[in-house]
Amino acid sequence: MEELNVLNVITRIMQNKKLYWKGIEQLDTDSTIVEGLENNEFVEKLPVNSDDEKNSSRRDFLKYVGFSSAAAAIVGCEGPVIKSVPYVVQPEQIIPGVANYYATTIADGNDFSSILVKTREGRPIKIESNKDASTFGDANARVHASVLSLYDSNRVQGPKISGEYTDWQTLINLVRVSLDNFSKDDKKVVLLTQTYPSPSSKEIISEFLDVYPNISHVTYDAISNSSTLDAFENIYGLRAMADYDFSRAENIISVDADFISDWQGGGYSSGYTKTRVPDKSKKKTMSYHIQFESNMTLTGSNADDRVPAKPSELKKIVARLYTKLTSNGEDKGSINPSIDRYVDSCIAKIMKSPKKSVVVSGIDDVDVQELILLINSYLKSEVIDINNPRLIKEGDNQKLNNFISDLESGNLSGVITSGVNPLYSLPNSDRLKESFKSLDFSLVFSEKEDETAKSAMYLAATNNYLESWGDYELKKGSFFLAQPTIRPLFDTIQFQDFLLKIMNSDLSFYDRIKSNWQNRILRGKTWGKSLQDGFYNDFSSLNLKAKKSRASISSLYEENSNDFSLVLYSKTGIGDGSQSSNPWLQEFPDPITRVTWDNYLTVSAVDAKKLSLNNYNVSNGALNGSYAIISTEESELKVPVLIQPGQAEGTVGLAYGYGKTEGMNDVMKVGVNAYSLYHNFSNTQSVKITKSEGDHEFACIQLHNTMMGRDEIIKETDIETYNSKEKSYWNPTVLVSKNHIETKVTSKEVNIWREFDRSTGHHFNLAIDLNACNGCGACVIACHAENNVPVVGKEEVRKSRDMHWLRIDRYFSSEDTFEGDVKAKDEASGYSEYRATQTKLEKAAANPKVVFQPVMCQHCNNAPCETVCPVAATSHGRQGQNQMAYNRCVGTRYCANNCPYKVRRFNWFSYAENDEFDYNLNNDLGRMVLNPDVNVRGRGVMEKCSLCIQMTQKTILDAKKDGRRVRDGEFQTACSNACSDGAIVFGDINDKESKISESNKNDRAYRLLESIGTKPNILYQVKIRNSKKV
Amino acid sequence: MSSHYEAPIRKPLILGDKSYHDISNDIARPVETPPDKDWWIAFSIAMAAFLWGLGCMAYTLGTGIGVWGLNKTVGWAWDITNFVWWVGIGHAGTLISAVLLLFRQKWRMGINRSAEAMTIFSVIQAGLFPIIHMGRPWLAYWMFPIPNQFGSLWVNFNSPLLWDVFAISTYLTVSLVFWWTGLLPDFAMIRDRAVDPFRKKIYSLISFGWSGRAKDWQRFEEVSLVLAGLATPLVLSVHTIVSFDFATSVIPGWHTTIFPPYFVAGAIFSGFAMVQTLLIIMRKVSRLESYITIQHIEMMNIVIMITGSIVGCAYITELFIAWYSGVEYEQYAFLNRATGPYWWAYFLMMSCNVVSPQIMWVKKIRTNIIWSFVISIVVNVGMWFERFVIIVTSLHRDYLPSSWTMFSPTFIDIGIFIGTIGFFFVLFLLYARSFPVVAQAEIKSILKSSGEKYKKIRDKK
Repeated sequence: MEELNVLNVITRIMQNKKLYWKGIEQLDTDSTIVEGLENNEFVEKLPVNSDDEKNSSRRDFLKYVGFSSAAAAIVGCEGPVIKSVPYVVQPEQIIPGVANYYATTIADGNDFSSILVKTREGRPIKIESNKDASTFGDANARVHASVLSLYDSNRVQGPKISGEYTDWQTLINLVRVSLDNFSKDDKKVVLLTQTYPSPSSKEIISEFLDVYPNISHVTYDAISNSSTLDAFENIYGLRAMADYDFSRAENIISVDADFISDWQGGGYSSGYTKTRVPDKSKKKTMSYHIQFESNMTLTGSNADDRVPAKPSELKKIVARLYTKLTSNGEDKGSINPSIDRYVDSCIAKIMKSPKKSVVVSGIDDVDVQELILLINSYLKSEVIDINNPRLIKEGDNQKLNNFISDLESGNLSGVITSGVNPLYSLPNSDRLKESFKSLDFSLVFSEKEDETAKSAMYLAATNNYLESWGDYELKKGSFFLAQPTIRPLFDTIQFQDFLLKIMNSDLSFYDRIKSNWQNRILRGKTWGKSLQDGFYNDFSSLNLKAKKSRASISSLYEENSNDFSLVLYSKTGIGDGSQSSNPWLQEFPDPITRVTWDNYLTVSAVDAKKLSLNNYNVSNGALNGSYAIISTEESELKVPVLIQPGQAEGTVGLAYGYGKTEGMNDVMKVGVNAYSLYHNFSNTQSVKITKSEGDHEFACIQLHNTMMGRDEIIKETDIETYNSKEKSYWNPTVLVSKNHIETKVTSKEVNIWREFDRSTGHHFNLAIDLNACNGCGACVIACHAENNVPVVGKEEVRKSRDMHWLRIDRYFSSEDTFEGDVKAKDEASGYSEYRATQTKLEKAAANPKVVFQPVMCQHCNNAPCETVCPVAATSHGRQGQNQMAYNRCVGTRYCANNCPYKVRRFNWFSYAENDEFDYNLNNDLGRMVLNPDVNVRGRGVMEKCSLCIQMTQKTILDAKKDGRRVRDGEFQTACSNACSDGAIVFGDINDKESKISESNKNDRAYRLLESIGTKPNILYQVKIRNSKKV
Repeated sequence: MSSHYEAPIRKPLILGDKSYHDISNDIARPVETPPDKDWWIAFSIAMAAFLWGLGCMAYTLGTGIGVWGLNKTVGWAWDITNFVWWVGIGHAGTLISAVLLLFRQKWRMGINRSAEAMTIFSVIQAGLFPIIHMGRPWLAYWMFPIPNQFGSLWVNFNSPLLWDVFAISTYLTVSLVFWWTGLLPDFAMIRDRAVDPFRKKIYSLISFGWSGRAKDWQRFEEVSLVLAGLATPLVLSVHTIVSFDFATSVIPGWHTTIFPPYFVAGAIFSGFAMVQTLLIIMRKVSRLESYITIQHIEMMNIVIMITGSIVGCAYITELFIAWYSGVEYEQYAFLNRATGPYWWAYFLMMSCNVVSPQIMWVKKIRTNIIWSFVISIVVNVGMWFERFVIIVTSLHRDYLPSSWTMFSPTFIDIGIFIGTIGFFFVLFLLYARSFPVVAQAEIKSILKSSGEKYKKIRDKK
């Protein structure tokens, strides 16, 4: 039996039937175990799927295990969440990759400009000047940067009641109930707003005031122009400010008017620049500009002659000018003879062409401002425009003071504010905070939870101006429109729309503007066209007649005490402080001091020595400064000190806009609040200065202020020499020695490089006119926006690691003129004299000459950086650019070392998405500003100016698509586009008719550090000053 | 190869009544005996420094070059200073083994092994810096002309940094081969003496099966000569090429044609100083006074003195040329070097490198061990500052005053430098306990002419 079974098994094996030997039991054919095993692999049931036992098998088990573990694994890893939603229906206007431009207007109370907003895929990413606008068409640095303020992560995301988010309906109902109650009880409520030079807003506000007669409207400009407005009102009977057309001026006498920056609303620089660029070939000469001032301002640093004087002297200058020019009134006062000399020379100049002369002043004094108007009227100056005055500021100090005393005395039941932050910007804001908090009702319209918003009961989150509608009459007869460029990012409502809702109106602000314009404003231009243009001129003007002035001249001669005069000023970057949480602006170096992330007390070297205040450099070069205490009768403030060449002795300067404590990230809370010293809303205060303990750490990006007599950096001459002498005299070609023979650096013999033919295709050059450049820095911000330049923060800037692709070098002369510096250097003979001269040249003069020089990558045709890169990451483009292949860069930094212009910037860290650098690149909202055409550089690579190759390539492609040649002026870079003064010209020199070819051939053209032989594609135009040789 | 006669007026190169077996015993002793407490203390310190440096490097790698003190104007400072310093130190080895071999300077036999070891170890340190100083060191292989799939991307043969890569890697390779060739008979000697089978295995592996046959010796001699011939131009080329990093640039203070000879002299200068530092300790610790004699120390001191003077001449020439050229940037660069904010570094460089070696004119001093040791340290400090002065003072104030700034190291900068010193000593201490630190086979070749024992035998005849 056994054997048979064995045979059986063997036979089956022989028959090639698969059978594996499993055990002795197999031999027993009747074994139940064997049979059971043959039918079922597992003897016992598997513990799976217990309620459906029949169907579960090993395979099922494996399936379940496999599936569930795969599912667990998938759930475990976070899949890439791509936050992009494709268009279901593509909007008609939006083509991915193609930018749309919208014309709109900024008028935030401090900056006024008609602008173009570049949007990509619906996101505003860049601001440009609206070049078609005849007035207010120039965007300054702050306006350029304002696009980033749209994406501020500190914006309030919806309406709030006592700090808790709510919905609009609730808020509107509550506010309406409160207002109705106040109205019933006739309780005093104040509506405190910025100046709205807006016809439709004014209408809505007056309707609102009609509904609630208990509410009074007070206009408040953080930086007051009340004295100017009062003066104009006294003389011409209208609360406005005269406008000026500096392009008509031959003589500009400015007494502390910083008209290149923010004086009376700003926007004057392009007109001014038109008179500042002489051209011998066109018989065009330049204007004469003299500046009397206390602080070194941007305007003063561009003047032909600059006379530092104390504010008390400045008033005398105006009085003296008035009495001497108009021969009106007696002039008994005495004036510093060294200043008087300049006044006399001014008068002589004015007398030659009175109609082409203008006197302007920024002194906060009604008498002075009246005299200014009288002088210009007497001169019949063509520069001043009385009949089309500026309507941008309305703030009245008297009314404001009434409001403050009402608030303090508890006479008010409620306050509504819009567009202002009084608890930050009023001088006694600390005291007012308590009164404000104890109000029965406070409603604040604000984009951020700032000082005022924080203390308010109701916070109405408002739109950014790029999300808003608006209309403006900034100047009599010049109307502007604002339109949203993006849907509100958050749950916000415009102030005007809110008022309309309170009044139960069915119309929106947009409807009101449109009907207003169509019915009342527009004549012969359609609404659509106006909206597209962003502006409308009706060419109407007033016919104002001068009244008699009651200005007292003798009061201007009053001597003040021996105290210091503090002159408060508005800084180019921060202005009145409304954008102080904008990282671009914080890192924007001040054109004069080149300090970022701070405000400070500017002190003259003489006074600093007297008070033993000092500035010094620490071991890594960073700048430190002493602290000083400014004390007035009312308040005291501890401020860092910066020694400022050109600061008038006995005066100190301090900028507004810093020292905010609410509504911004901690890293942005820098500087001190100068508004706390803004007593009586006068920019001049009598103060005492004492030294305080400790040192302040500055983040200054230029640690050396003078040019060391190096004449290859900035070439300059005076107008007489320019007009009378040959180019070879005032702009000679640089000579280098070859075999002991002086040879022109431009000649082929001294070139060791193999040249290639650049005559075909495009060859880009960029020309910078040092006469037109006034250092305003709009180009710097435009470059940031266009090229995604990272913000690195105060600490890194302090380590000399700023990332600016375009910087504006500012040099002070060490002697009275730069020519004097060169002379001093050249005349030093012998070692000890040489050494002594060089040491002396490191110090700036007490009242130095100033030059501004924008420097970006010079795009050398013989580039030192290109030869030294081991991996050829930087190489020369066919169109003249020196290009940087970020992907290829390994980061040896050799190129930066070998760059004579030091324009290359290294990514020391990863600046994007890094918590150490908590600026706009570290949050999703802030990154919305990035230009998708330019990549964000990673850590460890070198970056620099590309001559905006993304823009030039687009221009080329557009022309190609249209089948035409590129027109002159079509090629632009961000900086050339941003410069409303025409200081930066960009183009193709292979186009012989182009403007850039003309600049290239111009007598004034020279290149930076020509003797090195780098042959840059950037050229500069010799600076010419309209001042006599010393 | 050696003559069998040493003139009586010559000082013997081997002191004491040594037999061939004595030499074997002396040289094998550090390898065959366990290290003492002093060695362990030294090793622990070196290791700690190394690990600290490693930590600093890792931090740099993880965070970015920004943890160093560099800035937009000064793009290189301690990194390249250390690189050039270590490369310079690495010069003595090849000079001693190759050039002196060709010139048949027998005194090199006592010191060449350790000098070469020092060379290799310091070139390793030097090689670290070009890699870690990169912004993206993980892409360091892009520096090699490797066929790639990035398109037609190739390295830039114009760049001195690329030449550096070739120069340093060639130098390291040739030095290593040369060193190892010399080591073969000595490893074989240790192998033959070894009792422990594991030790025997290791040494037989690294002695490449040296059998000591006449054919082996003949090939050994030939290879040594050929390699010496190959290595000699390298002595000149490596530091010449390193100097090109600066000389071919346009930065005043860097753009100087004198740099190649000046750098080579400086390198030999610092290399010998480092050999001096190491051997003065080693001859004491490993009881090798018989082979590394005062005469060796004196010879090296003379080399230090001469190269120091050459370097001094170069410094003065630079100043002269700055004045003579009439180029204002050049003039200012040197004025600033000597009297600017980094005057103290310049002063240290001048006093350590130019003044201090001059006292070696005095025989008493150059044969004094303590003085020699002190001067050797001083020279290396001075040579470090020389590179710092060249790199930092030229960069921090170049053409446009608007970009002028200063440099200050961070603790990471310092940590990495200390780390490489630690690494160097870790390697050297390991070497001292596992390698025959004197070329015993070569020493034995002059025993008959220089050894006292054999001189006596000879004199008796």
